[in-house]
Amino acid sequence: MAIILNGTTGITTPDIDSTAGFDGEDLTGDVAAARITGALNATGSAPIYACRAWVNFNGTGAVAIRAAGNVSSITDNGVGDFTVNFTTAMPDVNYSTIGMCGDLTYGSATYLEGTTYSTTAVRILTRSGYTASPATGDAAITCITIFR
Amino acid sequence: MNRIIYQTNEGGVAIIVPADCGLTIEEIAAKDVPAGKPYQIVDVVDIPTDRTFRNAWEMT
Repeated sequence: MAIILNGTTGITTPDIDSTAGFDGEDLTGDVAAARITGALNATGSAPIYACRAWVNFNGTGAVAIRAAGNVSSITDNGVGDFTVNFTTAMPDVNYSTIGMCGDLTYGSATYLEGTTYSTTAVRILTRSGYTASPATGDAAITCITIFR
Repeated sequence: MNRIIYQTNEGGVAIIVPADCGLTIEEIAAKDVPAGKPYQIVDVVDIPTDRTFRNAWEMT
């Protein structure tokens, strides 16, 4: 259906999906792309890859998740040793794991280290200290983000 | 608030902290506990908060 301009009823826009009326699913091709990049304040033609999972948790004391997306749980395996479990699995294991940890317990540099990757979970270590082989340590603020 | 605990292959204790993801704790246990591992669902207050000897924790 074409766009119809009517002086009485206004503009009738194409309704091409199963939902009655004009909605986001009626946007296609360049129109949809322009709307999405505009909403994200993105300029240029570089593609956008969205975050597939993320979590912010407290790894000290009573370990607890502050907020998360596409994460069903974290597994506390030991000191500075956690597994992030995805609600919906990744398409493969070639995703990028990004993270940071604020180590309020030790008050020194902290490191994040991925150890085991699967489509359903990623196991990470948080390490603390300036030594050559810093020990694992719990971080009060641990944030993990997955891109694919 | 509950936690899921199970014994690791090394004899330690793994503690699963559920996220607010729309799944029940039973569904999370079925999904995130390694296959074949017995597990327990416990109250969060039953988990020690002093993690000084965390790697030495055992299930009793």
